[in-house]
Amino acid sequence: MGEEKNLRIKIGELKSDIGLLRNLEISIGKLIGEEWAEEAGPTVFPSITDLREWDLKILQRYKPFYMPFCDVCCLCTFGKCDLTADKRGACGLNMAGQQSRIVLLACCIGAATHISHARHLVNHLIEKFGRDHSINVGGLNVEVEAPVTRLVCGVKPKTLGDLEDVLNYVERELTRLLSATHTGQEESNIDFESKVLHAGMIDHVGMEVADIAQVSVLGFPKADPEAPLAEIGFGVADITKPVILVIGHNVPSAAEIINYLMENGLYGGVEVTGLCCTAHEITRYNPRAKIVGPISWQLRFIRSGIPDVIVVDEQCIRADTLVEAQKIKAPVIATSDVNCLGLPDRTKDDVDKIVHDLVSGASPGALILDPAKVGEVAVKTTLLAAPKRMKFKAIPDTSGIIEDAKRCRKCNECRRACPNDLPIPEALAEASNGNLESLANLYEECIGCARCESACPVGLQIHSFIVKAAEKKVKEEKYKIRVGRGAIQDVEIREVGGPIVLGEIPGVVAFVGCANYPKGGKEVAEMAMEFARRRYIVVSSGCAAMSIAMYKDEEGKSPYEIFSGRFDAGGLVNVGSCVANSHIAGAAIKIASIFAKRRLRGNYEEIADYILNRVGAAGVAWGAMSQKAAAIASGFWRLGVPVIVGPHGLKYRRMLLGRKDKPEDWYVYDARTGDKVYVGPAPEHLFYGAETKEEAMVMIAKLCMRPNDTTKGRAMKLTHYIDLSKRLFGVIPDDVHLFVRTLADVPITMRDEIIKILEGKGWKENIIPDPTLLPRLVRKRGG
Amino acid sequence: MSMFSDIPVDVGIVYEGERIRWPDTYAEFGGPRVEYKFELVKARGMNEVEDGKITIIGPDLNDLEKKSYPFGIYVEVAGKEIEEELEGVIERRIHEYINYIEGVMHLNQRYDIWIRISKRSFDKGLNSFTYIGKVLYRLFKSELPIIEKIQITFITDPEKVKEKFKEAMETYEKRDARARGLTDEEADAFYGCTLCQSFAPTHVCVITPQRYSNCGAISWFDGRAAARVDPKGPIFRINKGECTDPVKGEWTDVDEAVKLKSGGEIKRVWLYTAFGYPHTSCGCFEAVAFYIPEVDGFGIVHRGFTENTPIGISFSTIADSTAGGRQVDGFHGISIEYMRSPKFLQADGGWERVVWVPQAVIERVKDFIPKHLADKIATENEVKNIEELKQFLIARSHPIIKRWEAAKAEIIEKPPEEERVEVTATPPATMPTTEITVPTITGVTGGFKIVLKNVKIHAKEIKIVRSKEK
Repeated sequence: MGEEKNLRIKIGELKSDIGLLRNLEISIGKLIGEEWAEEAGPTVFPSITDLREWDLKILQRYKPFYMPFCDVCCLCTFGKCDLTADKRGACGLNMAGQQSRIVLLACCIGAATHISHARHLVNHLIEKFGRDHSINVGGLNVEVEAPVTRLVCGVKPKTLGDLEDVLNYVERELTRLLSATHTGQEESNIDFESKVLHAGMIDHVGMEVADIAQVSVLGFPKADPEAPLAEIGFGVADITKPVILVIGHNVPSAAEIINYLMENGLYGGVEVTGLCCTAHEITRYNPRAKIVGPISWQLRFIRSGIPDVIVVDEQCIRADTLVEAQKIKAPVIATSDVNCLGLPDRTKDDVDKIVHDLVSGASPGALILDPAKVGEVAVKTTLLAAPKRMKFKAIPDTSGIIEDAKRCRKCNECRRACPNDLPIPEALAEASNGNLESLANLYEECIGCARCESACPVGLQIHSFIVKAAEKKVKEEKYKIRVGRGAIQDVEIREVGGPIVLGEIPGVVAFVGCANYPKGGKEVAEMAMEFARRRYIVVSSGCAAMSIAMYKDEEGKSPYEIFSGRFDAGGLVNVGSCVANSHIAGAAIKIASIFAKRRLRGNYEEIADYILNRVGAAGVAWGAMSQKAAAIASGFWRLGVPVIVGPHGLKYRRMLLGRKDKPEDWYVYDARTGDKVYVGPAPEHLFYGAETKEEAMVMIAKLCMRPNDTTKGRAMKLTHYIDLSKRLFGVIPDDVHLFVRTLADVPITMRDEIIKILEGKGWKENIIPDPTLLPRLVRKRGG
Repeated sequence: MSMFSDIPVDVGIVYEGERIRWPDTYAEFGGPRVEYKFELVKARGMNEVEDGKITIIGPDLNDLEKKSYPFGIYVEVAGKEIEEELEGVIERRIHEYINYIEGVMHLNQRYDIWIRISKRSFDKGLNSFTYIGKVLYRLFKSELPIIEKIQITFITDPEKVKEKFKEAMETYEKRDARARGLTDEEADAFYGCTLCQSFAPTHVCVITPQRYSNCGAISWFDGRAAARVDPKGPIFRINKGECTDPVKGEWTDVDEAVKLKSGGEIKRVWLYTAFGYPHTSCGCFEAVAFYIPEVDGFGIVHRGFTENTPIGISFSTIADSTAGGRQVDGFHGISIEYMRSPKFLQADGGWERVVWVPQAVIERVKDFIPKHLADKIATENEVKNIEELKQFLIARSHPIIKRWEAAKAEIIEKPPEEERVEVTATPPATMPTTEITVPTITGVTGGFKIVLKNVKIHAKEIKIVRSKEK
């Protein structure tokens, strides 16, 4: 895609055989000499409004349902303004507008995070490996290397340098979107929502850029279903060795630590452990690295005193890392300009000088913005600090807990502060009598936020108590996770085509997002295994992928050891970190190009319409917490993939809910005839908050239904929907009749019961159309 | 009321694929430890079957211990539309249906069956084959209304199993011989399948006795049964009409059916060629036959092949150029089974035209490759590029080289291709796209003059595309 930019030609006067040119000025924004034969669709590098029509279509069916998390707006000095009961604020905005505006703000923050992460990574990799380093995400088995980028931007990146143009575009769009959140900019909540979808879309582009860049260059597994297994859990670090802990998302510094260890023959003597997505990335870089766990493990692992040096990059890093690190006398190295921790910039200082200051305790940490230098400083510091620290920990011993617990005033503030309403006061009361069992039992459901400690008027270290009480469990936390494999191969998608139409694979379920779980990570593992056993294709990423790993069956095997890593029926696929989420969207997009040969290039609307109507996929972000998760979800909505969140996800302020009681909402065009056909509420919602695991599971099965399902496919999907509902709630769902189009849809082992229900509901047979929401896709009948 | 309320365990599709390990097994039937085992469906006359009769010859579940037993399932069906040809299709449902029973595992088919009953299900009351018979009976009757009467016999008596095993083996053999022998010319009809239209809206598969569906999952017999069971379903009968080209494989009614079912996108189909109007491909074909112009022959590459083919591209890339329900000259999505058919690329020369096939595919179809070609078709082990392929074909005297010699005589020298530069200006999105073709200035020999003054041209982007000679 070699190109020139901003070419200007000025000709005062030119006489030639054929004519005369005077004062000719030609300016060319971009000159592209390219070999991509695919014709571009209507929306190459779409601006905010280019896909607005599509947004309005889906928002008409999936109407925003607002649940104000906060009733006032305090963003400008007019306010704060009370927006309850249809009141408008000083600027004129109403509650719906304000809620959607906050959602947009959150999605912009999320998208900005991935995009700036991508920019940093691409810059760094270009500097190190050159602009011409080629993009390669899966060798011969991947034909479409960057489905999201092709679809949105209409370009086909071949080199790292090509990714810069893509980033220029998403950065420009992001600035526009963010500007729309200013006071007095947009008044329609629906337009805010359309911008939310735009933010989500560019977020996916940003994620894809980040991941394909690092996969191409850093030797990560390339779309490998047999990516190696790595170790995960609190107990996996060999604490007899010096331990480096990396936290965050952006891999260059962590990779340089491993490089330095390898180059100096030190890797055998030092443990490299990680938390959050950087942990995913280091195991993709080198599967000998170890993952401690998701974000909720930060505090407990630091306090354990195991890490000798803590290296933080960016995103989802606790803002008390330095304070906590000081408690265990572990130096902190900050490595990102977006997360400096108030530390002095030592980027240009001599390595040994920095190491000396860190080891001696002269400074609690350093900001080093050069990854290679981070590698050297981190390793040298660890080797010197470890023998001095002697794994000094900040967790009290048992007798200390019992004594401290006696100071509890039973004021209940801790429980009130706890996001999951855990019975802490009761556990403390028992602890004061010498019984730590109840405290230990809190461990699995604790998300490690330590709000209980902040709330405690007498300053009890409640989180540490819980971790100590559960010490045995904590030490036994040793599991296996399949290293993030990256993209899904085109060939794998081809292979599941047949089984999907023949009804052998009921759908694709993606477990993604953060670790803000209502009842611990175990629920995610249980859900993932249930759907893998039911022969769905199960995909995972980020913190959710880690939580799935932290589970053992009777034989002591983790889910990644039980299920294959193939994108196939009953497979459990870890794509990798947050930015690898783009491969999940990418797989959905590739289905359209692989089976229907739909053009991807700049053809967003048509492909989203294809996915919404045909690709039976649903995302589950059971512990979604961050703004990034909000942006990722929005990217899936615009693409037509529904997302379910756990109870904490309701705090995202609004859901996108379909109304199955309104038949008029569920008509599509039959592309064969142009007729409008009722297809039932499939998929029923785009964004849904479930209160319990059980509710989520029934909803997952339901949201995998699509208007195009073959009868065999629908029968299978209904089987799982009904079976889960019967098992978990003891009833056949009251809406099954809406999902039966012809009698061949009825699951064969439930025929009698279902037919009775259909009769009772006055059900009528319907046709199965070639579904689309876009009238322009109705086929003109050939001669 | 559920269909299975009198069965002591649950019955549902969710149990399909359930594995029962030996420690959890109550008893095992068939499997690798016993010699005699089978399941068989026989088509009978209406008077020969007592509908709903379930018979157990030998000890029932209750009387058994944890061991592997010789075992037979003998099913007799009758109905106006039931014919011997459908026995195999009905028989394969036994596997599917038995697997729906909670705590019952059924693997394989025919003389290779392997069944386990779990301890837990036995304890729940699944203590007689009668229950399994009832489940089979109800599912067969409900799913295949063409079965008007059905009786089921379970055999555990070793002597009786051995006796019936002989009959089963003879039946399988007879059935296979008939299936192999059935030609497209003899068949009274073909079958069409539009299951893949849920993803590839214009693709229609035409399934004949000698041409399996692209996915390799649906035979002509399967099609016949499915079309009878659900005449309105995605698999339907196609009358053949008149055969207008027996070599390329064109039938008038096939063309009509495909035109109708593809919404007019596809108007003609030639079943036995990769050129002209080849059969369309959806996306899930097992392999692709691709034309290699340099040697005037076909390469074949299957899904499992992870290297580059000799033309320098991989399966993914080749597959990408033919998928989506289109007719693409020289790129042809096929099933492995079709390679075993005498009609395989018949119009193009069949196996004589095939020059390169991955070793793994050769292994699967070697009994169907004509003897004289045995060592003449290259694999990835011998050949990595076109040059090596040519050398190989010459060295092994592949019949394709005769075509080269014949073709040499016909070569007419073509004028060299001229390169043309096309400038496409992309105006703002609201304006219609205009295309300006700038003639090569040096090539113009006068006759007109262009005068441009104070012109400002701003092009947001200019694409320069090397266009092929039209």
